[in-house]
Amino acid sequence: MIHPADSHPGEALQDYVFDELPHGEREAIEQHVAACSECALELDRLRMTTAALRTLPDREIPQRIAFVSDKVFEPSWFHRFWNSGAQLGFASACLLAGAMVVSAWHFAAGKTTEVRTVVQAAPQGQIVAQADINAAVAKAVAQVRDEDMQLIQAAEKKRDAEYRDQMIAISDNFTVLRNRLSMSYTRLASSEMTGAGAGQ
Amino acid sequence: MIFRAVEDADLIARVRKGDVEAYNALVSRWEKRVFNYLLRLTASADDALDLSQDAFLKAYQNIRKLDDPARFGPWLYRIAHNEAYSLFRKRRPETALEDVGAERSPAPGFSMDLSLAVTAALDRLNPEQREAVVLKVYEGFKFEEMAEILGAPVSTVKSRLYTALGLLKAELAPVGTRGKLQ
Repeated sequence: MIHPADSHPGEALQDYVFDELPHGEREAIEQHVAACSECALELDRLRMTTAALRTLPDREIPQRIAFVSDKVFEPSWFHRFWNSGAQLGFASACLLAGAMVVSAWHFAAGKTTEVRTVVQAAPQGQIVAQADINAAVAKAVAQVRDEDMQLIQAAEKKRDAEYRDQMIAISDNFTVLRNRLSMSYTRLASSEMTGAGAGQ
Repeated sequence: MIFRAVEDADLIARVRKGDVEAYNALVSRWEKRVFNYLLRLTASADDALDLSQDAFLKAYQNIRKLDDPARFGPWLYRIAHNEAYSLFRKRRPETALEDVGAERSPAPGFSMDLSLAVTAALDRLNPEQREAVVLKVYEGFKFEEMAEILGAPVSTVKSRLYTALGLLKAELAPVGTRGKLQ
């Protein structure tokens, strides 16, 4: 969308201030504003207004919000089981058991003993493996939690620092905008006076 | 912002598996923003804190209904918005949110005149205009997210915001009154 100097962008100027315009349209607004003193003044006023609004800082929450585990809101044992990653193991076990049943049905009765041996041996190995898996999972979960906490603390520190910088920048911008607005008004007033003098 | 969304999504996945600590981590990220949003709507720290707690509890109870975990923010604000309006309807069914500016205090750190001028200008807006300004200027949401939070079309949201901005501009950056806001 092109905004020639004789056609003011209207609402798009506000969209521009709030960074809601696509890149191409932003450029068109910037070109128009560079050539149109009326829109340049309007843009300054919009920026000054938003800068003034942003001088009201966020307040700290008087009391942190925290939740404790409660049976009422805890998921059922089935949900926990199904969401814990156990479904993969469960599905594998079902497949394995199914394959064994099919094999047993197809082969001669003499081979049944061999199959049974395999089936009976599996739980012993699974118990040992399951204990190892549980220990490894617990260790991994603890490690992930530690990493999460460190990440969260670092992010919070960074956010606080950014907020402080932002407030300083807003304060500076506000002063600059106020000065620019004053200069614009002065220029406007002097050009009006010159025009009136020429008219007389 | 994308990195943040991925992290929220990860925490939400853990909450859905029953991890309350993951939800506490999620709360600690959002509680200050939600509290300040509600504070600017209600002008009461007590109400804002109560409503924040209610909103986070409701979000926890309904977190499985959240379709897209990357949109947790707007979804949470929608819940907070509904909680606030529910409270106002209970208290004053016909004039909800109209007189909430009474308890607002000026902000520290900037000149008293400017803080008072901004506070007074915000109080002169109607509740819908004020909420649009809060969501855009203070919370930084995009128009589509604001529409989701407010349950209104984008065109309506923009209309509320720009009408409000016109009124605020007349108060805070008036034509021909140089250096008034010191």
